[in-house]
Amino acid sequence: MIWSLSWKNIWRNKKRSFIVISAVTLGVVAGVFTAGLMKGWVDQRVEAAIYTEVSHIKIRNQDYLLNEEIKYTIPDQEKVVAELKNNPDVVAFSNRLKLTAMAASSRGNTALMLVGIDLNDEKKVSNVFEKMVPNAGTFFETDMGNPVVISDRTAEALRIKSYELSAEVLDSLAQSDIPKSVISKLEPIAGKKFITEKLFKKGLNTVLSKSEINKYGGAIRSAATHYRLRSKIVFTFTGTDGEMRYQTLKVCGIYKTTNAMFDQMNAFVLKNDIAPVAGFTSGENHEIGVILKEDVNARHFRDEMKGKFSGLNVMSWQDLAPDASMSSEYMNIYYYIIMGFILFALAFGIINTMLMAILERTKELGMLMAIGMNKKRVFRMIMLETIFLTMVGAIVGMILGYFVILITSHTGLDFSSVGEGFEAMGWSAMVYPEIELQFFIGVTILVIVTGILSSIIPARKALSLKPIEAIRTE
Amino acid sequence: MKVIEIKNLTKIYNGSSVQVTAVDNVDLVIEEGEFTAIVGPSGSGKTTLLNMIGGLDSPTSGEIVVGNTNLATLNSKQLVDFRLHNIGFVFQAYNLIPVLTAGENISFIMEMQGKPKKMITKRTIEILKEVGLADREKSRPNQLSGGQQQRVAVARALASKPKFIIADEPTANLDTKSTENLLDIMEELNRRENITFIFSTHDQRVVNKARRIIVLEDGKIVKDEQKNV
Ligand SMILES: Nc1ncnc2c1ncn2[C@@H]1O[C@H](COP(=O)(O)OP(=O)(O)OP(=O)(O)O)[C@@H](O)[C@H]1O
Ligand SMILES: [Mg+2]
Repeated sequence: MIWSLSWKNIWRNKKRSFIVISAVTLGVVAGVFTAGLMKGWVDQRVEAAIYTEVSHIKIRNQDYLLNEEIKYTIPDQEKVVAELKNNPDVVAFSNRLKLTAMAASSRGNTALMLVGIDLNDEKKVSNVFEKMVPNAGTFFETDMGNPVVISDRTAEALRIKSYELSAEVLDSLAQSDIPKSVISKLEPIAGKKFITEKLFKKGLNTVLSKSEINKYGGAIRSAATHYRLRSKIVFTFTGTDGEMRYQTLKVCGIYKTTNAMFDQMNAFVLKNDIAPVAGFTSGENHEIGVILKEDVNARHFRDEMKGKFSGLNVMSWQDLAPDASMSSEYMNIYYYIIMGFILFALAFGIINTMLMAILERTKELGMLMAIGMNKKRVFRMIMLETIFLTMVGAIVGMILGYFVILITSHTGLDFSSVGEGFEAMGWSAMVYPEIELQFFIGVTILVIVTGILSSIIPARKALSLKPIEAIRTE
Repeated sequence: MKVIEIKNLTKIYNGSSVQVTAVDNVDLVIEEGEFTAIVGPSGSGKTTLLNMIGGLDSPTSGEIVVGNTNLATLNSKQLVDFRLHNIGFVFQAYNLIPVLTAGENISFIMEMQGKPKKMITKRTIEILKEVGLADREKSRPNQLSGGQQQRVAVARALASKPKFIIADEPTANLDTKSTENLLDIMEELNRRENITFIFSTHDQRVVNKARRIIVLEDGKIVKDEQKNV
């Protein structure tokens, strides 16, 4: 009876209850959404860090770390490889040659790391091959001799990227949902070649309005982007003998990850196309990237490997991408701190509302205590009212929050307008929120606790009423 | 049989400047089945006396024995339970919980008393019939007239057959017709269920219905009159 009475009591002042419930709802939506966003963001970062950038484990010569010289190849390579092959925790590994090189096209040059790979092994360890820019070549699926895969960034540095609104590009834009009126406005700059993004933007500015650029600029730019595939790039590096060596490679594909720094650094080449030129003859390598089974602790594995082989430097992804590892470790704490603030603010609202509700019902509460409702029951009644109020808001909030995440987890949220700096650090500007059951449970518990804590003050206030004073009629 | 026995009961209020003796050395015995009115001018101590009898207020001195229980021996927790199980209350206003129906208001107190569910349902219907509101079981207080609300309050006070019912000016907010109607019902219940009623009033017509009239003045009983039935 007290339960149903409490439930009915919260609907007495519908407007006020509605305000509190919406406040709780908003708080929970904000909380659940923040959680989903953070989880999505961090997971994407960790995923990118492990599967694109650094693998679970990187094995190198310990001297290579101090000085990235070509001579510091992995010692006892056969033994290390044999160990990796036999270790049940290892899913895949890839041996790489790494050469610090100067890359030069006919128009520009840049310094980078030339990564020599065995294609099949590399594809099992790193997903760069899935990060190819559409319509910009392939990850070594070519018959062309001496292919190299470079990033969009590198292409820009080498000036083999240009922007052109060719007839073809305009045709494809006409197929998209960009209005015809906008496309026809592009006419004056059609067929012109822009060699940098800046110039292309300038060109767009002359024909389109600001709002049109904001809306369609990105799509137009990516359609207009053109890479000069098959361009010859000359790579200069030091050979094993200390002499300068040259190798000419042809661009066969362009990739783009969410980490601008990684992109700037790395160009991929088939090991066989580079090893002999550099002076390697017997399959030496500088680095082994290892992917472990999902449930294997990378740090333990690292320590095990260190113990087995001397002269090796072994690092786990946590060492190699400390930002990703830290944020995934501290995410829960951040989350509960944010949620704590939200609920703390809510608690004040709830307490205030309940105190008002009690003040309004002084006479009724006095009457109830007079006819024999004991303190325990009064306390429970007020407490339940407060908790119900909180729970209704929480449930509505969780349902709403769930749908918000469900929708945004498909469409993704684009933070590129506010977070250009993120990509430079490897944090994707496109975030796909995720939600886990544990967050819902966490939120529910937090909300119940908040409800209980906020009910104490109003309930005590109710208990302090004296029946004869409350019911006295003046 | 004595239901209430009051000896040397005094209540003094210590105001900031003046001391008010609201009840002054009262001796009183209420027998089972009485239908007693307490009358007197405003400020004569009626409410104070009834509150002390009902265990809502504590005396400055003297004692109140209900049945075999001296109220002074109970702590505040025991007192609440004592009220719940032994005393029925009807106030001038704010008797009912507005979010509950007439029936639920009556059931509620029996549920607090821990009566079995079946019995509660049966008794609620029975008692609503007795106060002439069998068809208003599902009505909320705000859908009932003032007189009907007071009848529900009487029904609730009576539901679990307390030792006595205290009603402090139960008709103060009612018109003539509702007043008479409520008194008739109270008297009827008093006779049929042999429930002791003590009520205070200013209203001469209410006084006329009482079988015993106690007149208070300045906290003292100045007249105690039994009418022959
Ligand atoms: N809480 C209190 N503090 C101080 N004085 C009080 C208090 N309650 C009552 N009194 C005083 O005690 C006296 C008796 O009051 P009481 O309310 O019992 O009178 P009453 O007979 O019920 O009056 P009425 O017919 O107006 O209801 C009055 O003088 C009143 O002012
Ligand atoms: Mg009074």
